[in-house]
Amino acid sequence: MRCGFLGRMTPSLDYPLYARTLANGLRVQVNPDHAAPIVAVNLWYDVGSRDEEPGHTGFAHLFEHVMFQGSAHVASGEHLTLMQNAGGSVNATTWFDRTNYFETIPVGALDLALWLEADRLSSLADALTTENFENQRDVVKEEKRQRYDNQPYGDAIERIIALAFPQGHPYAHTTIGSMADLDASTVEDALAFFKRHYVPGVAVLTLVGDIEPDEAFAKAERYFGTIPAVARPLRPEAPPLPPIAGVPREVVTAKVPQDAVYAIWRLPARGTREFDSVDLALTVLGGGQTSRIYRALVRDGGLAETAGAAAMPLIGGTSFGYAFARALNGVDAARLEAAFVAAIELFLVDGPTEQEVARAKVQYEREWLGELASFDSRADLFGAFQTLLGDATLVNTRIADFAEITPSEVLAAAQKYLQPDQRAVLTYLKEADHG
Amino acid sequence: MAETDRPAVERPGPFHTPAPVESRLDNGLRVLTFQRPGQHVASVGLVLDLPLILEPRDREGVATLCVRTLDEGTRTHPSATFAEVLEDQGAVMSGSAGYGATTLGLSVAAREEPFAAALALFAEAVLEPEFGEDEVARQREIRIAQYEQQQVQPAQRATAALRETLIDKRYRASRPAGGTTATVSSVTAVDVRAFHADHYVPHLATLVVAGDFSFDPLPAIRAAFGCWSGPHVARPAHESPDGGAPSVLVIDRPGAVQADVRYGWRTIDRTDHRWASLQVACYALGGAFLSRLNAVLREEKGYTYGVHLTTGPGRHGALSVVQGSFRSEVAADAIGMIQPLIDVSSRPFTSGEVDSAVTFITGVTPLRLATADGLVDQVATLAAVDLPLSFVDDYLAALADVTPASATEAAVALLPPKGGTLVVVGDAATLVPTLTEQGWAVTVQDAED
Repeated sequence: MRCGFLGRMTPSLDYPLYARTLANGLRVQVNPDHAAPIVAVNLWYDVGSRDEEPGHTGFAHLFEHVMFQGSAHVASGEHLTLMQNAGGSVNATTWFDRTNYFETIPVGALDLALWLEADRLSSLADALTTENFENQRDVVKEEKRQRYDNQPYGDAIERIIALAFPQGHPYAHTTIGSMADLDASTVEDALAFFKRHYVPGVAVLTLVGDIEPDEAFAKAERYFGTIPAVARPLRPEAPPLPPIAGVPREVVTAKVPQDAVYAIWRLPARGTREFDSVDLALTVLGGGQTSRIYRALVRDGGLAETAGAAAMPLIGGTSFGYAFARALNGVDAARLEAAFVAAIELFLVDGPTEQEVARAKVQYEREWLGELASFDSRADLFGAFQTLLGDATLVNTRIADFAEITPSEVLAAAQKYLQPDQRAVLTYLKEADHG
Repeated sequence: MAETDRPAVERPGPFHTPAPVESRLDNGLRVLTFQRPGQHVASVGLVLDLPLILEPRDREGVATLCVRTLDEGTRTHPSATFAEVLEDQGAVMSGSAGYGATTLGLSVAAREEPFAAALALFAEAVLEPEFGEDEVARQREIRIAQYEQQQVQPAQRATAALRETLIDKRYRASRPAGGTTATVSSVTAVDVRAFHADHYVPHLATLVVAGDFSFDPLPAIRAAFGCWSGPHVARPAHESPDGGAPSVLVIDRPGAVQADVRYGWRTIDRTDHRWASLQVACYALGGAFLSRLNAVLREEKGYTYGVHLTTGPGRHGALSVVQGSFRSEVAADAIGMIQPLIDVSSRPFTSGEVDSAVTFITGVTPLRLATADGLVDQVATLAAVDLPLSFVDDYLAALADVTPASATEAAVALLPPKGGTLVVVGDAATLVPTLTEQGWAVTVQDAED
């Protein structure tokens, strides 16, 4: 692996990347790295919860579970078991813009991993039974209860995106979906979803690790090459939304330990310099101990147990960002909100200092290098950038691209997207105190 | 049609843990450095032999407040200026006070300039923290808020309650590592300063550093930590807690849609000759995706998102715990199925189960140690219980010797199906009638207590 740094703040990465597209449309990319006898196999399918039809929320994720229920030559649960028995770690995730499947394995298990991935892409429909489908629907409902319904503030993401996006927008519902839609889903729906969305042309296969490109391409061809090409489903255009207007509010009284407040803004789509600029603004405002909001609410104000801000990158026209704070005992939500709105207003007037922006960039650099440190997360980044932006080499130039953004661009982006009257507000009130 | 023949797996060659360069500074600080090609973010861990039994009983949580206030100002960089200069280097600090040891961490680019600068700041935080009144007071309030948050978070509540129920109350390990509202409330800046002065000493500490260094990191380490001094206290004793008698506790959360279940035993740590056999047993019962527990309770019944059996070892002994959350209506049934599912006396482990466990654990070890972070984490975890990294090689060798008989024997002795302690956080009205029918002698506690 080569990695050269041009200067203190602008390291340019140079992970070698080789790419090829099979005749059926499957894109294959390889980053050879012989630091360990391991290979990360990563498949990004360009399908996420944004592709779900009304009444079928949660389906992309439910389908991810179904993908482990067997295929023509693989029994239910066997994919995971074979990979674990080979000494590998294996999983999958679903998000607004993706479903990704990945295994990190000793290199001697690479053929088996590719064969398993190809078998389910080519023949999942042959093996899916009503019984397996309904079992996984139950499992997903337990996942929803465990991670969202049975947690204090566990429904925050659902409420945040419902405030950020208009009803019916592809991003207006969560990846986990609603219980009613999960209950209504059928094995026929699963088969139709598979046929529509799981085609070689929407997938990117990334291999990172102890393998040479020619060998990797030959293996990809051998296991995936015979899968027929199918037309990619068309996705409706998602034009950028205008800013939120009128400061919509939702107030939730619940069994939460403390009052909490979230302010939410619409942001530009990921992969744009404007998104990166507003991302930097949110880092200066709410990323880390030195950030404006942390100082104002936690360190100096003594109002909050925790506070911060972050951007959530999305590819389909509009992303969102939020600032949040969770109160200390005896502090109410209105005071929290007023405090961080004041911090943001000041920022929109004065802008960030040179040093604040430099600090945000150098923190980003460490995080980015940290993501690239392991084969599995590096493979995932290559897959993400190829799938969403059509250019995996942006992973190598990412830090340099970030370094070019100036403090005045950060201010301009913040002034455009983070105005207080462009926010929505989600407030949690502690039940015992507020009835 | 894709290929139908399932490819064979070539087993990986033998794995050996990377070797550190080991040295000791004049002040007694042990230093382990690892050169790891391709790891552009350096990872640093500092492990202090500092058991929480050294906290005063009425000030429990002082060790946690000490860790959390270290980076809130030093004599050289008072108050918030410390965080600024640290973040200017692109560095981030972390830390936690565990039952047996305090571990502090630093992450920064592995280039010479930021590494040396950030390491000097890290040392500053360890050697000369300010512990301002305001900073300690704020961390005290935050810790209390977090404790209260943990009390209403069902999974965390269940884990803490199991510990409290399973370990005899005489022992520090039965209580939260970070203290409770009652004990944290009385901790002052004076207490934190005294605790730091007495227990942050170089001759009881190990510094672990890993990254892709194009320079020798040792001079920077000497420059940062060479002047560290402290009282020549003896190596501290560590408690060896006993479990109490098995018991059953339901913490009532009326209306909860799921029940968080913990079923646990006091078991053995890494130094016991049965350790590898116990790990194989835990994997076969509740580690693999198609483990005996998960295959039935998730994949067959759909009762849960996942159920696991893991062993968390300390310096002396461990907790082995079955854990999962189940929807309320079926939770009691699920609990009733745990004992028969883990009963290996009637269904001993097969050679297939043992082989799967051994290949999995052996295969993921290199994955875990492949990054600087993963390596430092492993070395620090072992240092915290006074074991060298070579333990990993010994463990892999011991795994190869595990047989179905030795794994079965370990499970029979250490995970007796009827000998565990049960804690459930959930809706008591739904759970208790069925649990009582199943023969559990249930004690119910209100979640607000």
